[in-house]
Amino acid sequence: MTELIMNVENVTRHFGSGLTEVIAVRDVSLTVAPGEVVLIMGPSGSGKTTLLSMLGGLLKPSNGRIQIDSDEISAMNERHLPEVRLRHIGFIFQDFNLLSALSVLDNVAMVAQLDGLSRRQARKRAKPLLEQLGLGHRLSFLPEKLSGGEKQRVAIARALVNKPDLILADEPTANLDSHHGHEIMRLLRRIAKEENRGVIIVSHDQRIKDVADRILWLEDGQFKDVVEMAIDPVCGMSVDREEAPAQAKYDGQIFYFCARGCRDEFLEMPERFLKEMTPSTM
Amino acid sequence: MFYLAWRNLWQSKTQFMMGVGGVALALVLMLALDALLAGSEEDLTAYIIQSGADVFVAQEGVKNMHMAASAITWRDLRIASHAEGVASASPILYTTTVIETDRADVLSYIIGFDPTEPLGGPQKLLAGTTRLKEDEIIIDEAVARSQDLNLGDTIDIFGDTFTIVGMTKGLTNIINSVTFIRLEDFQKLRGDEAVSYALLKVKPSYDPREVAQIITARNPDGVLALTQDDFAGEEKQIIKDMSIEVLNLMNASGLLIGLAVTALTVYTSTLHKRREYAVLKAIGANNRHLYRVVISQAFLSLVIGAALAIGLVWLMGLVLPQFIAGFNLALSRESMLRVLLASLFIGVIAALVPTWQVARLDPARVFRD
Repeated sequence: MTELIMNVENVTRHFGSGLTEVIAVRDVSLTVAPGEVVLIMGPSGSGKTTLLSMLGGLLKPSNGRIQIDSDEISAMNERHLPEVRLRHIGFIFQDFNLLSALSVLDNVAMVAQLDGLSRRQARKRAKPLLEQLGLGHRLSFLPEKLSGGEKQRVAIARALVNKPDLILADEPTANLDSHHGHEIMRLLRRIAKEENRGVIIVSHDQRIKDVADRILWLEDGQFKDVVEMAIDPVCGMSVDREEAPAQAKYDGQIFYFCARGCRDEFLEMPERFLKEMTPSTM
Repeated sequence: MFYLAWRNLWQSKTQFMMGVGGVALALVLMLALDALLAGSEEDLTAYIIQSGADVFVAQEGVKNMHMAASAITWRDLRIASHAEGVASASPILYTTTVIETDRADVLSYIIGFDPTEPLGGPQKLLAGTTRLKEDEIIIDEAVARSQDLNLGDTIDIFGDTFTIVGMTKGLTNIINSVTFIRLEDFQKLRGDEAVSYALLKVKPSYDPREVAQIITARNPDGVLALTQDDFAGEEKQIIKDMSIEVLNLMNASGLLIGLAVTALTVYTSTLHKRREYAVLKAIGANNRHLYRVVISQAFLSLVIGAALAIGLVWLMGLVLPQFIAGFNLALSRESMLRVLLASLFIGVIAALVPTWQVARLDPARVFRD
């Protein structure tokens, strides 16, 4: 069994007490495996932000357990949580939240410095990461000079610089146009798959469902629906298993397709398409 | 974190300049007055230091010249001059009065000395002669400059007219200057039978302090003898005592203003960056990291402000004496150290509230706001 990056068990968070008590998150459980992209969706006020805050060790649950790797962060003393966030979690925010006084390179290097590296060493670590994300020509720019897509890529680099196991993204495409939004989501998916990290995305954006392995619907503090996604082995698109236009069984396994055309093509020569698929994409 | 502190400050250049400027001006208050006092001490003791005397003999109980009245008899002078180790004893008469010029009246110490004596008159002359004849006078060049006087011009003292035959340099201070006439002219005008002070030269193999003690011991009801260092020290102490309350008030004002400006600068900067600090906390900074940013900001403002203050006072010391006669700002190491310590104190206090602010920041706010 693949070791889990995150294990959330029966987590509840309430605010206030007595007549004024509000239960923001109610008895939520969740696991995230390495390489998995989980999308949490839901209406405003459903508890997404509260849940994300708890998953990131920014808020303590009232009940339940949250485990990242081997660390049970829900039981940890407040003093130790910054180190857990620094080493195990990378945050990506809706408003990018870059440090406005620092250049692109220093924004990313800052997180490595927090982990004890000197400024020189931190910049050395940050530079190739930014170059991989296509920002090699922007290293000395201040955030105000960047486009939205570029800012979000800087934020992604910042989230990755300390090689965390888990990325938490809060509405990462909210301030981006659809082209850049898709670009960012494909980037997050690639990071998850290639680097075997867990990615949890909280979003309203319906356009990004196809990048997720799993979609969880949060409403009134509880998961109401769990949507399992599959990858069409012919075209590579993510497909909602329950709503897939076509399916086929082969070699004891069910495959899901975005269209009948893809299914028919698959059935003509299944071995050709199965060779290209890895277990995590099936 | 220091780099982040610097970048945060420099991001709002206007705010930063105003903050640093405010701190600098507050520290200038402390530094300038200190330097003015130190300069005044130097100037007011210039005659004593330049006199060449090893020992000063005054009336018993009198330890300085400024605002003092001393009278020793000729007999006391003779006793002192015959003490063991004394090479020479030169009498002077001394008072403070106004010298009247065509332009204005100028307050001055008047020293009546015997031109044939080795001590008592000016030891450094810029122009003219020290061999005064009747009704001749030596003034300081700073007075000459401010009153547009030259050698050969006349001025009035004690209702009598004197011709300028010599000019000294460095004997004008912010309060007054030193002017020299003959001892005889002084006695004639004031009718003094006694002398004010005796300036003694000690023989080379003798210790001036021991000679001074011997002189005092021989005539304890008549005179007090002090070495040049001690006499100058007493003179400086008088100045310090006279100005201590003003100095303390100005220092306290400077300190409070510096504190207020620094605290406001760091507080508003921290407030402005609150969200960014919350983001830093969210991504893994602990409170210690943020304290370092806030404290670095406070100290950066102060160090730059202090450097600016020192530079400003140094510049004032160069420029202002060109326009104000006798104005002397003497920037001492002690003054600068005092200002740096004051800056340290201000920095610690000013950083208290902002560090409390960042400690209370909730990192979860980055999701809420």
